[in-house]
Amino acid sequence: MDRRLFLSAAACTLFAPCAALAGDEIRLRDLYNKDQSFSDLALGLDGQSIDVSGFMAPPLKAETQFFVLTKRPLATCPFCETEAEWPDDIVAIYARRTITPIPFNVPIIATGTLALGTYTDPDLGFVSRVRLTDARFARA
Amino acid sequence: MLHRTKIALTGASLIALSTAAFAESHAMDLPQASSPWFTDGQAAVEALMARQPNLNRAKNVIVLVADGNGVGTNYALRLFDGQQKGMMGEENVLPYETPEFYNALIKTYNINAQTPDSAPTAGAMNTGVKQRFNMINLGGDALIDDCSTVAGNELTTFSEIVTGMDKSVGVVSTARITHATPAAVYAKTASRDWEDSVPEGCDSQVDIAQQLMNAMQAGTIDFAMGGGGRFFLPADMEMGGLKGSRADGLNLIETATAGGVQFASDDESFAALDLSGTAPVLGLFEDSHMQYEADRSGEPSLAEMTKAAINYLSTNENGYYLEIEAGRVDHANHDGNAYRTLTDGVAFAEAVAMADALTNDEDTLIIVTADHEHAIAFNGYCGRGSDILGLCMGVADTGEMNNGEPLLAADGKPYTVIGYLNGAGSVLVENGNDFSGARPDLTQEEAIDPDYLQQALIPMSSETHSGEDVAVYAKGPYAHLFDGTLEQNVIFHVMHKAVTAE
Repeated sequence: MDRRLFLSAAACTLFAPCAALAGDEIRLRDLYNKDQSFSDLALGLDGQSIDVSGFMAPPLKAETQFFVLTKRPLATCPFCETEAEWPDDIVAIYARRTITPIPFNVPIIATGTLALGTYTDPDLGFVSRVRLTDARFARA
Repeated sequence: MLHRTKIALTGASLIALSTAAFAESHAMDLPQASSPWFTDGQAAVEALMARQPNLNRAKNVIVLVADGNGVGTNYALRLFDGQQKGMMGEENVLPYETPEFYNALIKTYNINAQTPDSAPTAGAMNTGVKQRFNMINLGGDALIDDCSTVAGNELTTFSEIVTGMDKSVGVVSTARITHATPAAVYAKTASRDWEDSVPEGCDSQVDIAQQLMNAMQAGTIDFAMGGGGRFFLPADMEMGGLKGSRADGLNLIETATAGGVQFASDDESFAALDLSGTAPVLGLFEDSHMQYEADRSGEPSLAEMTKAAINYLSTNENGYYLEIEAGRVDHANHDGNAYRTLTDGVAFAEAVAMADALTNDEDTLIIVTADHEHAIAFNGYCGRGSDILGLCMGVADTGEMNNGEPLLAADGKPYTVIGYLNGAGSVLVENGNDFSGARPDLTQEEAIDPDYLQQALIPMSSETHSGEDVAVYAKGPYAHLFDGTLEQNVIFHVMHKAVTAE
């Protein structure tokens, strides 16, 4: 087992939540290469439980288990975009339970099983290439 | 009493005169005379005295706009560029900050806005008159989002004027080619957002993408490159790596290529373009904006597009007008992410250097400016060489470089050189029905991370523009007219003077 993953798993206890592991988590950008292909790190961790740091984009709807993890706070700039724009490098988070939104500019760490490959959400129609499933999250 | 005052004044004047004469005759004897600061200062004066106004008629005009690169952002760019080159940064000279360039300060407000947006600011440069917030190239009587006020309020653009002089016209941007700054070269619209459609019943104008196609067919635009491919293809249609979004089903790229326009959508097709001037060029490299320079892959840089544009346009013996925009300096500032602001700024500086290298001062007026500034600000008192992205370090007692010790605020925490007055980096976060918080602690490693957002005060999803001045720098015919503090629309009038000078 990857030492970092082992430490993450071992430290996620009632008394020491995953969020206390600042610095050990994977940065979202490390899952992608510059050309938006999957990094070797991502390919090596496909199917495994990982911790990824990022920010929660404002959820698409209320009472949902789904949100998008972004590497920087998702600023919505009325002068830049005429419609909602998602960055290329995001992670779709499918949480275990209905989520309680966290402000878009508060760093979080999401923990879940990494799934690579294009997937279209049957309910939302949201197309993702990288997901964390069975996920939980906490403020970093 | 009067007599005594006169004597006193005479005495003071004599002392001043004798002091000046002493300094003049003994200039080289001054203890500081051998200092590089002193000799460099003397050289700067000599360079200024050697300036000769260029009164040639301009054959070509190139306007390079770094969107959102006001005086403050440009200061950060100067340091970042220098530090990337191994300097402390403050001493760096950007390609347009040499004595060859005249400069002035520019007042950027719009007719009805203290804080400007990029549409009317670019429109002012392209028509010679200030315009209304969020609108492009319509007179002051037109109203935002009101299609009925378009007819009769259309202004004549610089591109139309020089087309009448048989010059070619090019427009290049790292933003969508239908975005505010590039659109101001060719479009007239009651809303900058009507990039791929107009409201139902609006028959006084077509959308901005169609206006570009019409301009290319009319020969008003000969070279266009940027992002925004989705606005040129029908919804869901895929072509050349682009995916369309036009609800009206029009395929503008097909229309263009059927009319003899060359098309490129990636590095390879860009390299294959025929730049001999025989067929117009359209390059659309992303569905929306082109990538930040820091993330760029598979598409040309701003300097590469600049080179292609000049090579193409210079085949017209009557000359050309070219507007080049680094559109995403602005976007990264909106994100509150100084790293991408400044890496795109360096790409802009490289485009300026490219344009300068490929042209002749005798016949080409080069103008370098910004459309507006942002709510960016700078902390103190940082020592020399403090990383412009990182923490404000203390001033050293000896030598020049900072002492490597982060300065601490009253809360006992370090702070970065750059800060924003508002934006996503706010230290106040939503907490129930209110916003509250404290500044997070910060390390140098965290601060210089490419994805770090410098701390901001007022919480906003997107950092805002500011009304602060920008600078304009220029060389070539009639560049010397840029002096003092000018209204933004004066830029057009200098361009017009330069191309029509007798």
